[in-house]
This record gives sequence, C-alpha cells and structure tokens, in this order.
Amino acid sequence: MPVSTPATAVIVGSGIVGAATAYFLTQHGVKVTLLDAVAPAAEATGAADGAVSVASKRPGPMMTAALSGVALYRELAATGLFSDIFKSRSTFIVAASNEECEVLHAHAAALAGAGVRVELLAAADVRQRFSALSTQARLVVEVHDEGHAIGYQIVHRFLTAAGVTVRRASPVRSILTGDGRCAAGVVTQDGEIRADIVIVAAGNGSAELLRLENVLTPRKGQLLVTERAPALNASMPGSIMSGRYLLSKGSQKGGVTVPRGLGLVIDPLRTGQFLIGGTREDHGSRQTNDLDAVGRILRHAVALVPKLASVRLLRSFAGLRTAVVDGLPLVGRIPGYENAFVATGFEGDGICLGPVVGRALASLACGAEPAIDLRPFAPSRFADHGVVA
Amino acid sequence: MTGRFFDWNGSAIPFREGETIAAALTGAGILHLGDDSVGSEARYFCGIGACQNCLVRVNGAIREACLTRAVAGLSVACVERRDHD
Amino acid sequence: MIEAQVLVIGAGPAGLAAAIEASRAGLAVTVVEQRETIGGAIYRQAVLGAPATYQPPAVRARWRRLVHDFAGCGITVRHGSVFLGIDGDGLAIVENRGTGHVEPVAAKAVIIAVGAIEKVLPRPGWNKAGVSTVGGLQIMMKETGRAPEGRILLAGSGPLLIAVAAQMARLGNAPVAVVEAGDPFRHPLTGGGLLAYPTLLAEALFYLKDVWLRGIPWLRATTVAGIEAGADGLVATLHDYTGTERRVAVDRIGLHDGIRPNDFGLSTPPGTSPVVVTAGDCREALGAVAAEADGRRAALSVIRLLQQREEVGTTAALRRERNAQGLLSELFAPVSARPLLSGLTDDTVLCRCENRTVGDLKALCGKEDPLSGREVKHNGRFAMGACQGRFCAENTARLMAELRQDAPAPSAVDLTGRRWPIRPVPIGALVCASDDTSKQE
Ligand SMILES: Cc1cc2nc3c(=O)[nH]c(=O)nc-3n(C[C@H](O)[C@H](O)[C@H](O)COP(=O)(O)OP(=O)(O)OC[C@H]3O[C@@H](n4cnc5c(N)ncnc54)[C@H](O)[C@@H]3O)c2cc1C
Ligand SMILES: Cc1cc2nc3c(=O)[nH]c(=O)nc-3n(C[C@H](O)[C@H](O)[C@H](O)COP(=O)(O)OP(=O)(O)OC[C@H]3O[C@@H](n4cnc5c(N)ncnc54)[C@H](O)[C@@H]3O)c2cc1C
Ligand code: FES
Repeated sequence: MPVSTPATAVIVGSGIVGAATAYFLTQHGVKVTLLDAVAPAAEATGAADGAVSVASKRPGPMMTAALSGVALYRELAATGLFSDIFKSRSTFIVAASNEECEVLHAHAAALAGAGVRVELLAAADVRQRFSALSTQARLVVEVHDEGHAIGYQIVHRFLTAAGVTVRRASPVRSILTGDGRCAAGVVTQDGEIRADIVIVAAGNGSAELLRLENVLTPRKGQLLVTERAPALNASMPGSIMSGRYLLSKGSQKGGVTVPRGLGLVIDPLRTGQFLIGGTREDHGSRQTNDLDAVGRILRHAVALVPKLASVRLLRSFAGLRTAVVDGLPLVGRIPGYENAFVATGFEGDGICLGPVVGRALASLACGAEPAIDLRPFAPSRFADHGVVA
Repeated sequence: MTGRFFDWNGSAIPFREGETIAAALTGAGILHLGDDSVGSEARYFCGIGACQNCLVRVNGAIREACLTRAVAGLSVACVERRDHD
Repeated sequence: MIEAQVLVIGAGPAGLAAAIEASRAGLAVTVVEQRETIGGAIYRQAVLGAPATYQPPAVRARWRRLVHDFAGCGITVRHGSVFLGIDGDGLAIVENRGTGHVEPVAAKAVIIAVGAIEKVLPRPGWNKAGVSTVGGLQIMMKETGRAPEGRILLAGSGPLLIAVAAQMARLGNAPVAVVEAGDPFRHPLTGGGLLAYPTLLAEALFYLKDVWLRGIPWLRATTVAGIEAGADGLVATLHDYTGTERRVAVDRIGLHDGIRPNDFGLSTPPGTSPVVVTAGDCREALGAVAAEADGRRAALSVIRLLQQREEVGTTAALRRERNAQGLLSELFAPVSARPLLSGLTDDTVLCRCENRTVGDLKALCGKEDPLSGREVKHNGRFAMGACQGRFCAENTARLMAELRQDAPAPSAVDLTGRRWPIRPVPIGALVCASDDTSKQE
C-alpha cells in the first residue's frame, strides 16, 4: 500500500468521476495525466439528467454516500468552484394513484428517518406552493436541500480548475503491469504511459479494460430538453419526480428488472428550459431516441404539468449508464494491484456521487482516510471475476 | 381583399388570402416581433422555417410566422408577452 | 400510424422529381410538405391575385413541366406537415400542424429533400430586426407579389443577389445597392468557362441586364462590416477593397453568403428499414437543375435499394452542375484575403438563439486544452438554441479553426449532432403520438 503521496497518476476516462479524481489528486500535489477514448464528458456524463439528490434513495450505503455527495456540492457551491453551476432546489415527489400514495408515504418516512428534511404537502398546500402541478397530484412530498448540476459543466469546471489538459482520442488498451502487485501505468495505441498510480474511471469502457463484462452492464436512458419557457420555469419551485419512479425502482430491487422502465423527472433548468426524463433500458444504442419512449415520457409529464403541452421540445438524447449486477458501485483498489484503482458503476447516480467519490478516491490513493465509507463498494466483492495481476 | 384581419398585440393587421403572418406583419411595417428570452430581437429572417427567429404566439401556440398562414380572427402576439400567463 | 411505400419529404424540385419518378415506377408515394403550396425555394408560388415574380423563361418552363408531370401522377401531398426525423424504430415522424398531432409514418423508403439554407456570415448587428437573408426577402416577394418596401440593401456574395435585385426592380422597388464581396470581373477566364453552361449564363445575363439598365449600384469587392440602428432604420458600414469606409442609411438589409445543405440533425436509422436517401440541395447544394436530376436519382436509388441492390451514384447531369457551381464560386470568391471571422469584434453575436458572441468563443478556445466541437457546444452553448445550429454551427466551427490552426478543424455536425426532432415541436403534439400498449412498460 502506498504510504506516501504518489508523484504521478494516470486516469483512464474523463467523465465526471475521472475529472473529479483528477481535480482532487491535483490538490494533493499529484501530477495527473488524464486520458479519454473520445473527449471529456463524451459518454454518460454528457448525457445525464443531473439530479444531485437523495430523494429516490432508500436507507443504506447509497443513501449515505448520496447525502455526502449533496453536501459536497453545497460546499463547492459555497466556496465558489460550483457557485454558478449548481442549482439548489427541492425535489417534489408526486403521487397520482393510491398505489403511489402508499409507496410515497412509506418512502417519506424512510427519508425522514435517515435525517432528510421532508415535508408532506396536502392538495391545498400544493396549489399554493406549486401552482403548475395538475390536480392529478394527490400527494406531494417536498424533499428539501437538493439540487441539480449538469455533468459536462462540472467536468469542464474541474478540469479548468485543475489545469489538466485531457488527452483526447486516446483509448487505453490495458493496464501495464510492473513488478509484483504493482501497476506501472497504462498501454494506449500510441504506447505506454507510466505513472505511480493508475485510476480506471472509464464508465462502460471499464468492463472491457478490467474484464468485468459479467459484472458491469450498460443501461440506456433517453432524455429530452425543451426550449426556454421562463415564466413556467420560474413558477416551479423545484423538480418533479413521479411517484411511479419509486415503483419502478422498487421492482428493480426485487430482482424483477423490466427491459424498459420509465421514471419521470421534470427539472426546471437555470436557462428557463426543462430537462425531462427518462428511461432505463437494458438494450438499445445511445445513438437513438424513439417516438414510443419520447411520447410516453411527455404524456406523463403533461399529465403532471399541463402547461408543458405548449412548450416546444428542442432536443432528445440518450446515454448509457454503467450498472453493476448487485446495484452498488465499484470503488476502490482493483483486486491484485496495490496501486491501481477503479471507480465506476454509478448507474443513475454518478453526477451526484462523482465529486464525493473522486475526493475519496484521491484520499485513498494518497494514503489518507477517505471522507466516505467506501467498504460497501469494494471491488474485491467481485474478486473472482475480472482482472487480477 | 379587404375585411380580413388578425390581431397583433392588440392591433388589427390586414392580410390577403394565402399570405403568411410574417408577410402580413411586414406589409404593415412591423419588422420587430418582440424580444425573446435571451434578449435577441425576434424578426423575419430566413423565410423557410429554419432560423426560428420569427417565433410568435398564434392563439397561444408558438409558431414560425413565416410558415403560418394568416387566418381572420387569429390572435397573434410576441412570444414573451404572454409566456404562460 | 400512417403507412406508405415511399415517403418524400419536401415538395421542391428534388422532392417532386423523386415523387414523379417513384410513382411512375409503380410505387405508392406520399409527399410531406411544411407549407401549403408546392414548389420549394425556387418555385415559390404567389398568393391568389398577386403578380408572379420575374424569372427567366427557362425557369418558368421547367416549373410548368414539373407541375404538369406531378399532377399527372395523382400523388397525395400532406401539406402543413413538418418532418421531424426518423426515430430509433425506423418511423418517420411528422408533425401535422393542422391537427396539432405528431403522426408516425411507417414507410418502406424515405426520400429526404428538404433543400438548402442560406449561409450568413456574422457581422456586428446582423442579428437586428430589419435584417434578413436575401432569400428570405425573395421568398416573401414571390409569395406576396410585392417588393420589400423602403430602402433595401442587398449584401454578401453570389448570383442570388443580382437575381433578387432585378426581381425587386421589376416589382417597383430596386435596392439602393448590391454589395458583393467578390468581383467576377477580375476572373475573365473563369467567366469564359461559363460559356459551356449556356442555360446558367443566360439566366445570369437575364438578371444582370436588368440591374445594369436600371443603374442599380453593384459594389464589388465590398463588404458590409457592420450594421447599427440609425435615426430611422438601419445604418450599414461598407468597406471596399481599397479600405475606404462609407455608411448607408436603409430600412432593411438582406444578407446572403451562399447556400449549404439543410441536413441538420438528419441521421440514418440503425438497421436496414426503412431505406433512407437524401436528395437535392439538402444532399449537396447545387441549385434547382441539379436538385431535379438528383430527385430522379434518389427515386431510382430507392427502387434499387428496395431490391437489395446498390444505390445510384452521382450522375453526369449532377457532375455538370457541380462544375458549374464550382465556376460560380471562383467567380464570386471574396476579394479580401483577410480571415473571415477572427477579425470580428468580441461583441459580435455568433449564435443568435443563445446570444453567444465571438468573445465567448475566444474565451473558450483561447486555452491550451483543444476543446472538441461537442465540448464547445456544451460549455459555450453554441448551436444549442432553437435553430439547432443551422445559422451558427458552421460559423462557430470556422472560427474555431481560425483560432487554433494546429488543432483538428471541427465540422458543423460535431456541434449539432444528429438527433430528431430536427425542428422544435410542441410537446402537446408529441403527447398524442404514442399509445400505451405498443411496448411493455
Ligand atoms: C439518461 C441518464 C440520466 C442520468 N441522470 C442522472 C441524475 O439525474 N443524477 C445522477 O447523479 N446521475 C445520473 N446519471 C448517471 C450519471 O450520468 C453517471 O453515473 C455518471 O456520469 C458516470 O460517470 P463516469 O465518469 O463514471 O462515466 P462516463 O461519464 O461514462 O465516463 C467514462 C469516460 O471514459 C471514457 N473511456 C471509456 N473507455 C475508455 C478507455 N478504454 N480508454 C480511455 N477512456 C475510456 C469514455 O469515453 C468516457 O468519457 C444519468 C445517466 C444517464 C445516461
Ligand atoms: C431562401 C432560398 C431562396 C432561393 N432562391 C433561389 C432562386 O431564386 N433561384 C434558384 O435557382 N435557386 C434558389 N435557391 C436555391 C434552391 O435551394 C434550389 O434552387 C432548389 O430550390 C433546391 O431544390 P430542393 O428541392 O432541393 O429544395 P427546396 O426547393 O428548398 O425544397 C425543399 C422543400 O422542403 C420543404 N421542407 C423543408 N424542411 C421541411 C420539413 N422539416 N418538413 C417538411 N417540409 C420541409 C420546404 O418547405 C420546401 O418546399 C434558393 C434557396 C433558398 C434557401
Ligand atoms: S424566418 Fe426563419 S423560421 Fe421564420
């Protein structure tokens, strides 16, 4: 285990996790080489919604990590780094059916139990606080102190602040093994790059690199952006999450994964636009959006916020999250290596968790105590799969 | 060719059968169609629906003035003025 | 769901020719057109009772033939319908402006013939009300039978400026001047090359003659360096090749720096269904004669592709038009050798929809890190607005290339991407499009 701070690091992948790790390693005085197969935020980070949120979490390690994730965003917003790119707002979880109301009641209690500030709004309060919501909203839970950030903006900010120039179009082929249980660097198409430590934050690319194809799976999500509608946007005090989202998450937890789930989130952006999502699909290319999914997302959105009907859709896009078979991310030392680390598998939470995980990983790599508990995410739980030195 | 009008922010604009809203507004000497939410001046520009500079609200819906035919009695307004009132 | 054997998008010369050809081959054709009339950019029809715009006899003859042939085929045209793209399931998506609903079309083949857009180089003040494209002025003139009113300045480059000046004059209001960045008279040899293209030459002379006879000033080797609001109307600052500056007060300004394909956002669906072919100026901007020929080529391609054979390549007719357009570009090449964009003041607007300036782009590209086109889009909001990059992506990419000569030059599509909807569409229209039962939720 490296007891002292390494002098150099090579990071594979400049999504939010790689960029955050680069930033915090630079703060430790480490000289970072950051490589990306394409360019910064080219994959999931550039196609994400960006809820910095615990609203959909159940108590457990993910909830704990997400709470720290939100807290770090707040801290970085207060100290200046994120001041203009983190939007602080509440999340409003909306239940429209009996079934949803039931789940939402239980969910709100669980959130409150975990120390999250939640507020139950009855119909009259809703009309007062959130006039844009349709009367279909039977129960609304306001989750306070949440926020929103756009992945590619966070990446750009981290990279500019760290002064790191990304080597674009540089896919890494493998980890370069050195003496004993040490990684010596990485191998790219243009040759070897040596460093004291190696960090793999390659999203879905991590699977091939670490031979974790059986552990990591891509999960597609489709998202939509509208044109600016400043008045409607200003009338929304926060984002909307449909109670159905909880039902779909629930079904996943029970192991009954559906090939295509829809979970509605409507996020009013700082620009006056709306970001509306999204799907979770086990199949499908990130190049495509289909009318079926788009129509369904939007129908649900209009049912909850009727005035959206007259706002125009500007763009659709899709991205591939990286999911882990057991639902928890992979963060820590790569089994078999003393000085190589991985951080991936954040599925739908990497924007929220990216900065806090990047900071923890930088601490770990520099021999310091990480600020969050990484043990539940230890890659060693899959030690019988994948790459071993 | 007379007697056909639509409403533009409270004034009556005459038009000829088949004409677009943009053509009628231009004919009435109206070139500045209001300011949009980033402060750019809305105006007729490309004429073919591509530039999105000529957006107006037609009976509440956002439309390209250059593509939308004028119809008697339509209510046409700047986009911002009635943004989701 | 609408079903169609061949769906043709756009009723300009390319789309009409394609529809005729496909229909004559026995295929069932449906045409989708956003406007209420057919004809496209060149053959825009006048409203009832308005005089037709002045065009050379050959152009009018081509139109008459096209209309006649098209009418003979009995093809359905869905007017007031905006094509939004082809989705991941291979459905063509069409917004019916009449019903306010989006209609998915399951077609065996789609021929996309959505034409060209004009290029407009940014100059200070180009984004003001009262400034439009030259084609925009022309289209409204064709539609209304009225020349634009007041003092009009046409500026930019190319033969369209001359055509519009002549057409305006015929309708009773000649422009105060035509400002042309190039100077065809400096290229007599190239000009001589046009003798090989008599139709084109005749068309050029047809309009030029009018400009001459009416004494409309054709200020060659001159550019509009800036536009400001004046006491009444606009004031344009002109720079000529000697460096002399002069100012002209006008009511409206038309700008035009050439045309380019309106291929923004178009993507080919994954898999093999439907067969998708682009045609006319949205594939390669070569003008009306080429568009018609290319429409026919596209229809033949579709027929072959549906039989699992190869697409038809560029035809001789197309190559000929390409050569002719090449000559015209040489003739009208800007005289000034200065870089087109990096000399602009920092406050010049580059992307009008998002109000992003030359200075904003310089700040983003001035660093050591050579951002890709997509990163510039994301972090600078260039090409992110409602026109989806049609009027700023190419200029942004060009300025990026001027600013960083050593980095790989980005292209417009790096900024815009290829996704539907290719035009903004009301959410309310999409809500009506899908039904809950089609896929498992
Ligand atoms: C539709 C959608 C909505 C989402 N919404 C939210 C949300 O609301 N809140 C939230 O917190 N999270 C959300 N997420 C999840 C979040 O986007 C991801 O968890 C997060 O971006 C993952 O970041 P990353 O850095 O691990 O991976 P990525 O962003 O995928 O980055 C990996 C990088 O590695 C590069 N790479 C891959 N292989 C190699 C190689 N061999 N060599 C070099 N480079 C390589 C790639 O090019 C890429 O740039 C969403 C995701 C999607 C798709
Ligand atoms: C503004 C303008 C003016 C021009 N004027 C002339 C001229 O005077 N003389 C000349 O020789 N050339 C002119 N041109 C060049 C012109 O591109 C060609 O002459 C010729 O019209 C190209 O034919 P086309 O069929 O490829 O495209 P077009 O003629 O442009 O036809 C495209 C058709 O598609 C429709 N369309 C576009 N997008 C959609 C959509 N998303 N959904 C449904 N329908 C859609 C349009 O309404 C149009 O009818 C002009 C070009 C422009 C842009
Ligand atoms: S003038 Fe360009 S879209 Fe109407």
